[in-house]
Amino acid sequence: MLYFVVRRLLIIIPTALLVVSVTWLLIRLAPGNFYISEKKLPKSVEENIRRKYGLDKPMSEQYLIMIKNVLRGDFGDSLKYQGQSVNEIIRRHLPYSATIGILAYLLALFVGLTAGILASLKQNSLLDYVSMAVAMLGISVPNFVLGPILVIIFALGLYLVPPARWGGIENLILPVVTLSAIYAAYIARLTRAGMLEVLRSDFIRTARAKGLDEKTILLKHALRGGIIPVVSFTGPALANLLAGTVVVEKIFAIPGLGNVFIQAVLNRDEPLVLGIVAFLSILIMLFNLLVDISYGFLDPRIRYS
Amino acid sequence: MNRIYLCFISLSLLVFNLSCSESTASRRYWGKTEPPKENVLRYVSGSEPESLDPQIPTGQPEARILMALYDGLVEYHPKTMAPIPAIAERWEISPDGTEFIFYLRRNAKFSNGDPITAHDFVYTFRRGLDPELAAQNAYLAYEIKYAKAYNSREAFVRKENGEFLLRKDFETDLKEVNSVGFGPDTEFHRFINLPERLTVPLDEKDRQELIDKDPELKKAIEGKELVPVRAEDVGVEAIDDYTFRLKLAIPAPYFLDLLPHQFFRVVNKKVIEKYGKEWTRPENIVTSGAFKLLTHRPYDVLVVVKNSDYWDAENVSLDRIEFYSLEEQYTMMNLYKAGAVDATYNHTVPASWLDEIRQYKDEYLDHPEVTIEYYTFNVRRKPMDDVRVRKAFALAIDRFSLAKFRKTSKPLVDFTPEGIFPKYEEIRKRVYEQLLRESGISKQDWEKRYFDPERACRLMKEAGYQVENKANGRCEVKNFPIGEVALTYNTSESNKAVAEFIQAQWKQNLGITIPLRNMEWKTFLPTRKRLDYTGMTRAGWVGDYMDPNTFLKLFYGSDNDSGTGWYDPKFDKLLDQANSEVNPEKRFELMARAEFYMLQSQPVIPLMTASTNWLKKPYVKGLYPNPGTLHAWKFVYIERDPNKWDRDVDNIMKESDPIVEEKLARLQRSQIEFEKQRHGE
Repeated sequence: MLYFVVRRLLIIIPTALLVVSVTWLLIRLAPGNFYISEKKLPKSVEENIRRKYGLDKPMSEQYLIMIKNVLRGDFGDSLKYQGQSVNEIIRRHLPYSATIGILAYLLALFVGLTAGILASLKQNSLLDYVSMAVAMLGISVPNFVLGPILVIIFALGLYLVPPARWGGIENLILPVVTLSAIYAAYIARLTRAGMLEVLRSDFIRTARAKGLDEKTILLKHALRGGIIPVVSFTGPALANLLAGTVVVEKIFAIPGLGNVFIQAVLNRDEPLVLGIVAFLSILIMLFNLLVDISYGFLDPRIRYS
Repeated sequence: MNRIYLCFISLSLLVFNLSCSESTASRRYWGKTEPPKENVLRYVSGSEPESLDPQIPTGQPEARILMALYDGLVEYHPKTMAPIPAIAERWEISPDGTEFIFYLRRNAKFSNGDPITAHDFVYTFRRGLDPELAAQNAYLAYEIKYAKAYNSREAFVRKENGEFLLRKDFETDLKEVNSVGFGPDTEFHRFINLPERLTVPLDEKDRQELIDKDPELKKAIEGKELVPVRAEDVGVEAIDDYTFRLKLAIPAPYFLDLLPHQFFRVVNKKVIEKYGKEWTRPENIVTSGAFKLLTHRPYDVLVVVKNSDYWDAENVSLDRIEFYSLEEQYTMMNLYKAGAVDATYNHTVPASWLDEIRQYKDEYLDHPEVTIEYYTFNVRRKPMDDVRVRKAFALAIDRFSLAKFRKTSKPLVDFTPEGIFPKYEEIRKRVYEQLLRESGISKQDWEKRYFDPERACRLMKEAGYQVENKANGRCEVKNFPIGEVALTYNTSESNKAVAEFIQAQWKQNLGITIPLRNMEWKTFLPTRKRLDYTGMTRAGWVGDYMDPNTFLKLFYGSDNDSGTGWYDPKFDKLLDQANSEVNPEKRFELMARAEFYMLQSQPVIPLMTASTNWLKKPYVKGLYPNPGTLHAWKFVYIERDPNKWDRDVDNIMKESDPIVEEKLARLQRSQIEFEKQRHGE
């Protein structure tokens, strides 16, 4: 187990470096740069800028400097936002995305698990059909549709909550609900499928034959196996949510990482893009590792060697 | 099952009802309209500011924030954007138009209490030009003597006898004017008024490139000593603590109009030197304007509060301004409608909402601005290298329908925006009439240049294409190489709509279907700049200052900014002549000639003068849709009495607001009296 974890952790470093290198290359291949604008700069001004940011050096040298900085965990300063370091920007904006993301996922887990378990217990009942229909709706309605509809009803119609911006708890309601919808729907469907499979398996029948009561069977035996699909979904989903979701952050004007990332790409803000990409890739790999480890606890059949 | 069905229907009805009941203008105002309880303005300012250092950012969102935080020699007039006194109480310009003396007020202070003196302005100007700072806006100050040379790391050339090579020895038609005797005599003044020295690049490679082209220059500088141009050589001078003098290399009467720009607003040397690039952090920053920074939460909000130490604090009405950095149009419309913001920045109402929003006459601002939209031709590639083809494409667009289609713009056939420079337009009209007579263009043809499909067809025929005439003066051009050209635009809903409209116009009137191509902004820019396109591209231009020169200079020089590849020394000469003309009327005459001359070869298709497109609640007063939508915040106030709220803002620029007028009169008095006194002498 320990060997497995250490090996996986070690793989993260070269993988992240590879991701960063490819990203660097892609930015360099993309036309345009951070200072280009409608107004053409006099040659002298452009040269001043290139010299200041080391763009006058050969490409290979620039690449090595970049890699050296990345290995030290220092992505340098943003090109667009003068005097602000990339690490500082990520640190500053992560909490907004993380707050919304974690709350949305908790809500999604609560709604999704409840709906999924109920649906699986009463398979082919009205409850099953309705909750699965709603889940299908949740998956098919994109959040850029759901968000504005919620805004029209609750913010501009009933004036119950603010339509956008960061602020108090009331500001969190709409973005969290919007963001959680699709995850809740997925979780509901995954739980239902997982539970149905487990409930039909031999060990559940054995448990029933032992005379265990339904509650214990469900919570102690069936649920552990039944939510494995949900757990494997959770890793990447949480990583995505923590990193910020562009659409929801845009609709509700939340100063999260997703918003910053998109803007950085549009600005060709190289250090910032590299920093966020590296951060995201490491985050996703770590979450996947956590998911893999948790399998062992949930399902005794899975063992690492 | 039925119950659920019913629920669903009633929910959709609710949504439908809400959206419909709001969409009619039965109510006077759009959404919630209540002044905020506190004396605060909540303003959507657009993208997250790049930096709070006034000399770094180039965008308008930053400009508006920096105008609250910093003060300069002069401020923009809230309606016309003409310069009005700020830290400079009064100023005078030398008769030859190359020297400006500013008399500063003695009670101006930085937000940390340091007095603001002429030395601070000297520092600010030099810093902005420092090549190490690499400010993109540095070019704005290039008219100042030796400013360009310093910013481009150039050097003077010293001869063996200690004298310097002079520029006039290498450029024969250089007209130099020296205002010796304007203002007090100082050592620096004598130096800066010596004949202009020659400057060459300090960098060896660049210098080599230059002298390879010019053997005479090569001979002249060989073996001579190169003396780098220093900050101290730039034409800015503190005559004493409260008198600041500027020396320009050429007479540039428009230079005063440029000085309210944030690039020239004063910064504090002590703080910048102490904290380096971290001086703009909230805990370190020292500002000079009517407001000071309270908090900054990036991508969310930047709050400034009234600076009680500001020299004009009694004229500042707002206690606080909250600048929200968000760009999503629908989100800001929601916030506006919910009454959570009081005004938005320019170009914020989505095109699809215009029909509805326009009905709110007290809130929607549609006024001409110092911005134009046009299409460029690549005049170096076939088939657009033929002026007849270019003219035909320009004439085949019905600009009045286009303006109607766009809803917020005015048709344009010239290159300077319409309704922005009234004096220039008046003179231009006169000059054009004369030029028409000289060049034998009939007045009828001239007046039809907004849309003339008949002539477009004729021109295509003359250019050698097979043309089949059709009804209503339209035609079908048979053998135009459609596959080789395209109309390229940067990706955006509204650009796409305009491109499709114009594509249809060409199809209707010339029978030519030009393919459309869209590109992401940062990909599009280099494509246009390097002329990597065949056919047309979209372009827009926002004036840097309130003078036609800011538009015409786009075509100035062989490596110009027009994105067309068009260059003509005759045009350059006309513009040079205009800008060395001190008499403003004659200057405009020469500019009009230059504009006419350039448009005769149609390197661009002017399409429209842009219009402002934003909203403000009626209780926000003193906030005007001026040509650059740049607001001098000290004139803005919140009116609590609904009877005094703004009504029908189409007339906002004509109506006078006694509170704003009173403030303006008080500020302008010093300069007006000073000028009277001078003329009386």
